[in-house]
Amino acid sequence: MSGPNDDNHTELSSYFFEDLLDSVIVDIASECHRIARLGLDHNLDEEEEELRLSEEACARVADPSYNGEMNSKYVVDIFGQAHPPVATEIFECMNCGRSVMAGKFAPHLEKCMGKGRKARLKMTRSSTAAQSRHSRGSPVSAYSPYSNSTSAHRLANGSPAAGEPYSNGTSEEP
Amino acid sequence: MSRSPIFFFLLAASLAWFSMKHSVNRPPTPDAGEDQEKEPTFREIINIKLIESGEKERLMELLRERLIECGWKDEMKAHCRTLIKKKGRNNVTLDELVHFITPKGRASIPDSIKAELLQRIRSFLVSAAQ
Repeated sequence: MSGPNDDNHTELSSYFFEDLLDSVIVDIASECHRIARLGLDHNLDEEEEELRLSEEACARVADPSYNGEMNSKYVVDIFGQAHPPVATEIFECMNCGRSVMAGKFAPHLEKCMGKGRKARLKMTRSSTAAQSRHSRGSPVSAYSPYSNSTSAHRLANGSPAAGEPYSNGTSEEP
Repeated sequence: MSRSPIFFFLLAASLAWFSMKHSVNRPPTPDAGEDQEKEPTFREIINIKLIESGEKERLMELLRERLIECGWKDEMKAHCRTLIKKKGRNNVTLDELVHFITPKGRASIPDSIKAELLQRIRSFLVSAAQ
């Protein structure tokens, strides 16, 4: 183990280590430079980061409800507002003019505009009454939600409008 | 017609001048005061051995891995970002970035990593010098 050689080796080792380190540093600088030039770093802008952090903080401030979102009845948003599961705002239906609740608007429209099963039957009853006399027997009576007394009464009277759901169809009355 | 010989003469002269200036048979330029060693230094020999044996590549990978593990790379990237934010992302050159982070990079190397790498390099030197 010769002394001078050891010193030489130490110096040389340091030289090669510095060489490796410089290469690594250039790699890292090159990577960062590329990301900066291509605009791939989304956190670069201070303002963006502020907004993101403030949003996270808001979510965390409402912490009891943040974790209790699943537990409580109402869903809580990031501003801490609670919303009922069915929308409660009331407005006027543009078709029939009745005041309806927002959460119940779709089923209302079904009845109102004739897209649903019952509404369709109502329409066919009033428009094609003559045709439905013979064809609509038992299948229709199964749908009738209204009191069977009127329909039974009609049946007894031999009324052609037997079992129709809406009893206010006046054209059928004999 | 009397002008054309003069024209051709001038053309030939300029061509000759041109070829003399950039002759492929020009003698080699003497070194401008630089010490040109014909023999490769010990350092160069070792460097070649490092590369050819693949040891340099392995050492690089080891160094990179260790520096990522200890978070040094992330520190360096954050340091880069400070310069980029300061100068504007389209105004930074790679050169500026390298010169900016090199001093801090060299200084913030953990001692354990430096020691490990130095140890490996040294053992390679010992085996290569024989």
